[in-house]
Amino acid sequence: MQEFLRLKSIYKSFEGVRALKDVDFTINKGEIHGLVGENGSGKSTLIKIISGFLQPDSGKIYFEGKEVSHLAAGETTSWGVQVIYQDLSLFPNLTVAENIAYNEMLEKRRPFIDWKEIEHIAKTAMKKIKVDIDLAKLTEELPIGTQQLVAICRALTSDIRLLILDEPTASLTKKDINNLLGVMRDLQSKGISILFVSHKLNEIFDVAENITILRDGSTVGTFPSKSLTNDSLVELMTGKALTQVRHSQAQISSRITLEVRNFSKRYNFKDVSFNLKEGEILGIIGLIGSGRTELACAIYGISPPDSGELVVNGKPARIRSVQDAIAAGIAYVPENRLVEGLMQKQSVMDNLNAAIMKSLSHAGYIPYPKRLNQASLWINDLNIKVSHPMVPVQTLSGGNQQKVVLGKCLATRPKVLILDSPTVGIDIMAKASIHEMIRSLADEGISVILISDEIPEITNNCDRILLMHAGKIRAELDAAKIQPSDLERMMSQF
Amino acid sequence: MKPLRFFQSNRSLYIILIAIIILMAILNPTRFFTVGNFISMSYQIPIIAFLSFGSMIAFLTGGINLAIISTTNFTGIITILTLRAISGQATYEASVSSSIIALSVGFIAALSIGALCGFLIGYLEIPAFLVTLGIGTLLNGVNIVITKGYTISGFPPFILDIGNGLLWGIPIPFLIFIVASVLLSFLLTKTVFGISLYLVGSNAVAARFSNINIRSVYIRQYMLSSLFAALTSFVMMGQLNSVKANYAESYLLVSVLACFLGGVDPFGGFGKTGGMVLSIIILQLVSTGVNLLRLDPYLTQAMWGLIILLLLGTNYIRSSIREKKRLSAVLQEAKSNPSATNSASLL
Amino acid sequence: MFRKILRQNEAYVFLLILALSIVIGMRNPSFFSFENITGFLKSYSMIGIMSVGTLFVLILGGTDVSFTAIAQVVEYAVVVLIMKFGGNIFVAFFEAAILGIVLGLINGLVIHKFRVPIIIVTIATFNIYFGMLYVITKGKLINNIPQMFKDFGNILLFPQKSAIGGTYGLSLMPLIWLAALILGWIILRKTMIGRGIFAVGGNEIAAERIGIDTFAIKLFVFGFVGFLAGIAGVVHVAIVQSVVPNIIVGKELEVIAAVVIGGASIFGGRGTIFGTFLGVLLFAMLNNGLTLLRISSYWYSVTIGAIILIAITVSAYQRLQRAKTNVKVQIQE
Repeated sequence: MQEFLRLKSIYKSFEGVRALKDVDFTINKGEIHGLVGENGSGKSTLIKIISGFLQPDSGKIYFEGKEVSHLAAGETTSWGVQVIYQDLSLFPNLTVAENIAYNEMLEKRRPFIDWKEIEHIAKTAMKKIKVDIDLAKLTEELPIGTQQLVAICRALTSDIRLLILDEPTASLTKKDINNLLGVMRDLQSKGISILFVSHKLNEIFDVAENITILRDGSTVGTFPSKSLTNDSLVELMTGKALTQVRHSQAQISSRITLEVRNFSKRYNFKDVSFNLKEGEILGIIGLIGSGRTELACAIYGISPPDSGELVVNGKPARIRSVQDAIAAGIAYVPENRLVEGLMQKQSVMDNLNAAIMKSLSHAGYIPYPKRLNQASLWINDLNIKVSHPMVPVQTLSGGNQQKVVLGKCLATRPKVLILDSPTVGIDIMAKASIHEMIRSLADEGISVILISDEIPEITNNCDRILLMHAGKIRAELDAAKIQPSDLERMMSQF
Repeated sequence: MKPLRFFQSNRSLYIILIAIIILMAILNPTRFFTVGNFISMSYQIPIIAFLSFGSMIAFLTGGINLAIISTTNFTGIITILTLRAISGQATYEASVSSSIIALSVGFIAALSIGALCGFLIGYLEIPAFLVTLGIGTLLNGVNIVITKGYTISGFPPFILDIGNGLLWGIPIPFLIFIVASVLLSFLLTKTVFGISLYLVGSNAVAARFSNINIRSVYIRQYMLSSLFAALTSFVMMGQLNSVKANYAESYLLVSVLACFLGGVDPFGGFGKTGGMVLSIIILQLVSTGVNLLRLDPYLTQAMWGLIILLLLGTNYIRSSIREKKRLSAVLQEAKSNPSATNSASLL
Repeated sequence: MFRKILRQNEAYVFLLILALSIVIGMRNPSFFSFENITGFLKSYSMIGIMSVGTLFVLILGGTDVSFTAIAQVVEYAVVVLIMKFGGNIFVAFFEAAILGIVLGLINGLVIHKFRVPIIIVTIATFNIYFGMLYVITKGKLINNIPQMFKDFGNILLFPQKSAIGGTYGLSLMPLIWLAALILGWIILRKTMIGRGIFAVGGNEIAAERIGIDTFAIKLFVFGFVGFLAGIAGVVHVAIVQSVVPNIIVGKELEVIAAVVIGGASIFGGRGTIFGTFLGVLLFAMLNNGLTLLRISSYWYSVTIGAIILIAITVSAYQRLQRAKTNVKVQIQE
């Protein structure tokens, strides 16, 4: 394979702090290359250097084999390097055609707009990956998967040679993901290189030929993906060997904490029924679009079902609001921690206490020492790394932020704890720590529902597994008797 | 746009305050530092102070109360009409108990307006700007229709005292201002409702997931904002001895200005009573200073605008210095503890 | 196809205008007369011109409250300049444009450089501009303005003799309003800068990422607002034929309300010239209708307020209904 871009001994610091140290990286023409690394490993900095947004402090860059002596800002764009960030950077209020054509129109530097030309540019781009999206629709009206295709079309309007995708599959349904992976292979066949950054290791394995691993600002190495396994990759990423232990089911009692009977909600889910035992960890595995989060939100009172009953600890519960759910002993760690779980600018203390303020108060008054003590309890209990409870929660790392959300939920002393994709975007070590926490909560008698689409997370931590797809529960499985590969096979059936 | 978190501490405000006092001392010591002057200022502060508090409360959740002025006038009009109903035409002779009844009715009227605003914002999820614009315009129209544009005067001594009276040598409106400031500060920082306001202001969706009844918060929030409109009205009735549909119209922008000077974040989640009080005092000092120096009173307005721009400018410079320091500190932590931070993503 | 039109906000305003015309016209047919229509169009020309600027700022994603102060300042300044140095109406408009643009650019500069919300900066500049105007002029009215302005204001196209002996016709002011609308439309629809305003209003971070010069866009928008405010000031002098330094100020919320009713979104990124025109037209007709129907003008605010409330409530209700039928999951049996 011919070399397209090579970085050698790249150093980059910000105000005296090293972000990248002696990094080597090569990507060939027509190659799909995976880039993995924990948060803080230097992935974003490397991407910004490759895309021309930042200049390295030192090191050599070779473009198509020839050394580039001086890198001007944005010069890599002229080499055909385009980045699509996780947020897609689209304009929700503009049409699909305009979004696709915007880059090119900017390049042309003409003051006036030719709408016919915009349509032409858009159609040409869409043809390149054989998609047909309604050009007149406003981008915000499209589902996320289609929006991503719009972003890719926009990248294709220039003479693209290297497409960088930064965490592209975070909120896509399985169908969209397969679609995207297919598009990537299609582009590859046209000689375009793709740099694919993702936390989802199974997808990396799916399409990438080579994988580069970053750790602590340096390259650990570049390996053919065939030579790695999930475990060996994780070990290279973290520098530690990870042992996967299954949850022991010894602590489950026979008492039933939660009964869900015939929960249905139009356009969300249908006829969902299951029981949950005390001390049990019930996994609900399903992809985005399966109705799993919608089900959780119905149980939690955010969007109550159209029909169905709920029985908590033997007593029927009518849950029409979050207040009802908490009062009934149900707590929920939301899927999107930043948007739904945290009040970013407020203190860790206030976030932790948010759900139980009334119980801390006396006629509305909450003394400061009480707030502080209550918060400190959870900071210690969950091992949240924070300098002082009063700092804004946005200064914490992803893992610690999730612990704050967890602490907030646990403070309500729930009998049922629902966790929705609790370890997305969290480092592997922090992930393990959260899993441990979940297990010990179950051992203490809390019933847990763990919603996820990561098979290892489900098989290692759950006692029973419900498989959800297209709004209904399709299968119920005993976790002890099933292998991850079985589960994978079952899921791919859908 | 990434909103700039300015005025984190009240330090800048203290500096400005001291600077202005020093300026006054230099320019006009004899007339400024008299008891008479301070008393005069303490009669003037409460009206703009209450309106500013009312606006601030709305800003805490990223909202705004464009109806606050018409609510103020509405309160006054309802009060005088109630007085007329109870005491006939000679409202200026009304008894204390009649006055209290009338004030209560006006008070309830104000709270109802607030509750309506909060309801539309919370239950129908309409932006506060639009709700309060509509209600404010409608209420202003109602005020005009009821009064036909005329001034209605003749308030009884009890109400006049609220605006002009002295208690223990201190002007009553100022006393109300002090008590209200303390109570508001307590409410915002030490009660469930107050803390909920900041949480909702930071992220209403997350607050909802966190067992906070945001609809109820919005209703109580705008009722509280309107409560301050009612207080404004009481003082105005006392001082002007009259009500009119278009009183205090120009004060809306001033109250919003006082909020920004006081460090309130218009996007919600931040704002301190202390900063507000400092800001209000600063604005008042500028106004008084201009008057004492016999300068054009409109210079006051221009100075207010200038102070905000200067403050924004210096805060921008200071926060970009702070941002640089923070960045390197965060990266420092990343180097020493790679698995515990996601610093790189902050770059 | 009809559904798509009905989903647009402008359709409702249009229907409302139609309904209103019928109601007023039935009770007082002189509503439809040439004299009447040209009359209320003329009196709302100033607001109409300023509304185009307000639309631009709303699309950008903020609220500007200083434009009335700019109009006030420029109006006064231009009249004084003409009185001192002479000049015809073109000179007046030219001076107004330059002065307005400068005052507007100050807004744009501060907003971008200090990264501060638009409403904060424009409240500050509002106070500075208006305060300084009064300090310098001491609030003096100018009653005998140069004849040139009066003549300009009195120009009538298609002049007709009225029943009582006067003349009426189409004044130039509504045509200037029309010119402002057309200019606004061309910018928003046909130029890269115009699309850039929508882009920044829709997603400023993305705009910066793909290389849009957001600073230039902001300068342009606020310069344009100032330009229009200046023009509106001169138009105002021509209409009322005197300079009262505090008459324009106070109308900010009315202009914003008209633009919002016309469909511009408070959150930014959305709005049309046609909608803005309809919004102002609605207000103009309401005002006119009250007079023709001999309803006291006291009811103007009540009516406007009621329309705003009804509009936002209906829109909110529709939004909530749509959310209920949002297909989150394709349920398979």
